[in-house]
Amino acid sequence: MRDKILIVDDVEINREILAEILREEYEILMAESGSQALDILEKLHEEIAAILLDLVMPEIDGFAVLEELNQKPWSKQIAIMIISGDNTVQTEAKCFELGVADFVHRPFNNRLVKKRVHNVVALYQYQQELEQKVEKQTEVLRKQFRLLQQQADRLRQSKENVIDILGTVVEYRNLESGEHIKRVKGYTRILAEKMMRDYPEYGLTQNRIEVIVSASALHDVGKIAIPDSILLKPGKLTSEEFEYVKTHTTKGCEILNRIDNAWDDEYGKVSYEICRYHHERYDGRGYPDGLKEDAIPISAQIVSIADVYDALVNERVYKNAFTKEKAFRMINEGECGVFSPKILDCFGNTREEFEGLAETRRAE
Amino acid sequence: MQLQDFYKILGGSYQEIKERLQSDELILRLTFKFLNDKSYENLCRAVEEEAYEEAFRAAHTLKGVCQNLSFGELGASSGELTELLRNRETVPVDRERCMELFGQVCADYRVVIEAITTLKGQKD
Repeated sequence: MRDKILIVDDVEINREILAEILREEYEILMAESGSQALDILEKLHEEIAAILLDLVMPEIDGFAVLEELNQKPWSKQIAIMIISGDNTVQTEAKCFELGVADFVHRPFNNRLVKKRVHNVVALYQYQQELEQKVEKQTEVLRKQFRLLQQQADRLRQSKENVIDILGTVVEYRNLESGEHIKRVKGYTRILAEKMMRDYPEYGLTQNRIEVIVSASALHDVGKIAIPDSILLKPGKLTSEEFEYVKTHTTKGCEILNRIDNAWDDEYGKVSYEICRYHHERYDGRGYPDGLKEDAIPISAQIVSIADVYDALVNERVYKNAFTKEKAFRMINEGECGVFSPKILDCFGNTREEFEGLAETRRAE
Repeated sequence: MQLQDFYKILGGSYQEIKERLQSDELILRLTFKFLNDKSYENLCRAVEEEAYEEAFRAAHTLKGVCQNLSFGELGASSGELTELLRNRETVPVDRERCMELFGQVCADYRVVIEAITTLKGQKD
């Protein structure tokens, strides 16, 4: 609690007059020089509500005290009133520039000075109470914000789990384990992060990457609409059957369109891109739309190569697993689709990470 | 001697100081303290040594105290001396004028001290 007033004047009579007025309401501290005042303030500044400061004093005068106080972070909380016989406008202006709260001319009326001190002290106290209140409320807000963030994280996590479940259901029908989904997500992340670093022109951000990785679990969701007789047929498909398999891209989009409101715009858009375009080819000879080069969304380009790689290094109903070396070579030599040179560059530079992931996920 | 008479001698106003300080008891207490105030002594020494920085400060202080105590004549003469010395750093001090004003301060000071002593004698 600030209940003390510090009176600084080298003349006893002057100090005495001020003390007389204020003694009733406040505890009075007195300093007869600038240096004594600074000593007292250094020790007791937390208890001092106001300083009544004379300007003309030997050695450290009032201005020097003001300048010294302006260096102290705590001085803003103490009201400083100048009491001076110097009636020039320049002096008064200089004092206000140095941050004083009020300027009282000598000789002054006791009752009026008492009121002015009272006002200034009340104002400063009110201001500090407000600051404390704001600080407290800010703290409460921060806490609530953290809580909201945690809940948002939890929501995001559970949404991701649901999406993984959806992807896994589809894979299961395809006689795959849920591992394919997890591996494709892993390859997608490796490539996307490399692309973000090496090719900033695609505007990938960490946030966007999280969305792409999560949505990659849905790339084959349209296969749910392909009959078992085709989907699970061992050996080569007839061209008619193959045409039917191709529709899993557009059928996936139809499914997504029906569950449109389940996620936010960005998520919906990226899922759609991946479902529809993950079988497009860089040379324009893919399906379903025959998009060419960077007309194919970058999300789909990345998931496409991740999906192909995983299909190569694992066994499928229609093929055996290739070695990692062979798979790497096949992709680079364009035997399994045509990819953007930039993506192939990133693929080449992350080969170890790809193979490391293929290894761990296989071992599980 | 009544306080009214005391202020008449000093060229001050009892009414004015009473309005400011509110109580006779306080007026007397502060007035007697003036006997111990060192600013006049400091002023004399500084003027004699031509130490104008110190002289300015002492004159300024003396003026301030006189204004507080409503010592009209002494406040006016010490105020004039203060103004003469205010720009000592930029304008050379007119020594003759300084001595003239200082003489007036001394004369006014003696009147004040005499009056306070009388007042104090009555009180004791």
